[in-house]
Amino acid sequence: MRKRQLMAVVMAAACGTLVACGGGSTAPAESQGGAAPTTAASSGQDSGSGQAQAGASGGKQVLSVTTWDNESSPQFQAIIDAYEEKNPNVEIKIIDTSADEYNNSLGISLSAAQPDPDVIWVKDMGSMLQMADKEQLMPIDDFIAKDNFDMSIYKGAAEQLMYNGKAYALPYRNDWYVLYYNKDLFDAAGVEYPSNDMTWEEYYDLAAKMTSGEGSSKVYGSHNHTWQALVTNWAVQDGKHTVVEKDYSFMKHWYEEALALQDAGYIQDYSTLKTANIHYSSVFKNQQCAMMPMGTWFIATMMQSQQEGETDFNWGVARIPHPSDTETGYTVGALTPVAISAFTDQPDLAWDFIKFASSEEAAEILAEQGVFTGIPSEAALQTIASAELFPEGESNVEALEYVHYSFDRPLDPQIEEIRTVLNEVHEMIMIHSYSVDEGIAELTERVAEIKGWN
Amino acid sequence: MNNGKNGFLTSKQRRKIRNNMTGYAFILPNLIGYTIFVFIPVIFSFVLSVMSWDGSQRPMTFVGLANFADIFGDRIFRGTLVHTVSYALMTVVPTLILALLLAVLLNNKIKGVAVFRTAFYFPYIASIVAVGAVWNMLFQPDFGPVNEILKFFGVANPPRWVVDKDWAMVAVSIVSVWKYMGYYMIVYLAALQGISNSLYEAASIDGANGWQKLLYITVPMLTPTTFFVLIMLTIQCFKVFDLVYVMTGGGPGNATKTLVNYIYEKAFTSWEFGPASAGAIVLFAIVLAITLIQFSGEKKWSKDL
Repeated sequence: MRKRQLMAVVMAAACGTLVACGGGSTAPAESQGGAAPTTAASSGQDSGSGQAQAGASGGKQVLSVTTWDNESSPQFQAIIDAYEEKNPNVEIKIIDTSADEYNNSLGISLSAAQPDPDVIWVKDMGSMLQMADKEQLMPIDDFIAKDNFDMSIYKGAAEQLMYNGKAYALPYRNDWYVLYYNKDLFDAAGVEYPSNDMTWEEYYDLAAKMTSGEGSSKVYGSHNHTWQALVTNWAVQDGKHTVVEKDYSFMKHWYEEALALQDAGYIQDYSTLKTANIHYSSVFKNQQCAMMPMGTWFIATMMQSQQEGETDFNWGVARIPHPSDTETGYTVGALTPVAISAFTDQPDLAWDFIKFASSEEAAEILAEQGVFTGIPSEAALQTIASAELFPEGESNVEALEYVHYSFDRPLDPQIEEIRTVLNEVHEMIMIHSYSVDEGIAELTERVAEIKGWN
Repeated sequence: MNNGKNGFLTSKQRRKIRNNMTGYAFILPNLIGYTIFVFIPVIFSFVLSVMSWDGSQRPMTFVGLANFADIFGDRIFRGTLVHTVSYALMTVVPTLILALLLAVLLNNKIKGVAVFRTAFYFPYIASIVAVGAVWNMLFQPDFGPVNEILKFFGVANPPRWVVDKDWAMVAVSIVSVWKYMGYYMIVYLAALQGISNSLYEAASIDGANGWQKLLYITVPMLTPTTFFVLIMLTIQCFKVFDLVYVMTGGGPGNATKTLVNYIYEKAFTSWEFGPASAGAIVLFAIVLAITLIQFSGEKKWSKDL
């Protein structure tokens, strides 16, 4: 009897806690949603208030920011250091997570609605939409209006980050696909370097020509990493389609070509890359492939690698090949936004930081590291091109210009779920478990289910 | 003080309360941890299973059983049930038989028995991430050692293991058997100590050979243990997540996606905590059913002996 009574008490207490939790979590949500813009607006009238508070508490202002893989890339630290130098009374606390776990861990910590983190570097636009949908990001329209902030420096990139008519983030980085190649391997084979005006068909021929050797010393003509993007990107390159469509038959050609390259042994087998968990950078750095389509972020990686003496071969950059019915300079890419948490206790300071992180000044700092920002400028391009470890030659600079830019994924609130399907089907096609037609049929069906098109 | 009629309580009652308090104080640290990290989350997931919630500060809305209808209407979810059951089928019986055989063999007084016991137990304590990565390399389809050996023995087209939708689950099961048989071997070894030697002596006098002794003495005497192992293994199989996550990530496609992988994905990729919790409740129901079988079975076996 006593046991049962005790259980009843425990149960009742637990239910009580739950009800309290439930009630608690709804109330702040509403007040938060309503309060955030007013806080922003009212504190906007007195921008010194934040600093006054900090002065009163007798210490530095602490701003917490979230980053991923901070150790392995200079992209965050360079900006953080520069900001701290400019604002000696601000201390920046870095919350770093590995890239794979970043979105999960960030999502969970935002569920707790704590004042930290203040500033969020958003890993991909899909997760930005998820966070915006969940009201975890602070709309920055009021800040923009208050400061008369000039968005035109981003040449349209900032507008592309708008969602449901609101601005949630500023463009921090901008990356698009280019073709990397190993000059030494091309020289050894006596083949001309990839040109900046090459169709995909010409690229396939070149991959065939550059494949040599057998077994462990085999050099592949090119390299496709396991991402689905390495096939689907070229399907959306002409800007006529996106990866969220009612009919995926436009991808058929690109999957057939990728399989043809793989089955002929001009690129490494998907299964091998997957089972051995091989990173694309090691393939290129170990000179196991002559060419590699990859994002511009890899420039900084290569420059760092040369700097540290990890690699010493000559490499170059060319524009990504283009479909035969478009001109050269069509590319595919993505923006890395920087945003403010809706739960921040320092909205003004956070705004000041993201404004700096996506400023021309920051762009210059990042350009020295080989990183492209949301501000496309001739100066930044020249800085990157004149960096000591950037490959020499005019064609490498020309490679970094584009005439048309498609997003690798559209701004669709369900894009992360759709990407799971894209990845699964991609894998099944690449290991020949599905024919291309079966894969495309499944893609069409499952994406329609997610979108509710049936 | 101790006149027995001080205040409202007799000294006996007070002593009893004090004793109880001491007892509660001892279990309190554990109880607090259990309540915060197990009990409340469990209750919470029951609540969530009938709610629609995206993990944000916005209010949850009550949707009744729609989440259950949602996941049972999802063929990916139905697929994960099939995958989980097939994983359990491929794992439970081999683990059980191998653990028993190992225990019987290592119950003999042979030289270096401690070394062998340690060697077979070792996989159980090895990190699952390391184990998964190493086995993935062993299973590499084109030049991995496993397929090289198969080719040596004349298998012309060895399976492509983790990158073959029909063989990926087999590969995961093999690793699981290898990893967990050592643990259940120890369980069996302990049980073997409890079998009286006189039974074997009597059998020897009657002229039974080793095989007969195993079949007619050891196995029947171990039945309660076997039952325990069977239940624990089955529950463990239904809860599998880490090994699949490390080895295949649920792939190729979704050929090895298990129930828990599905729950994880729903919760932390799609941020749909309602359907994710509904999936967790389904898992809970399955494990509960198995446990109830164990309870009734335990009574039966303990009566028999």
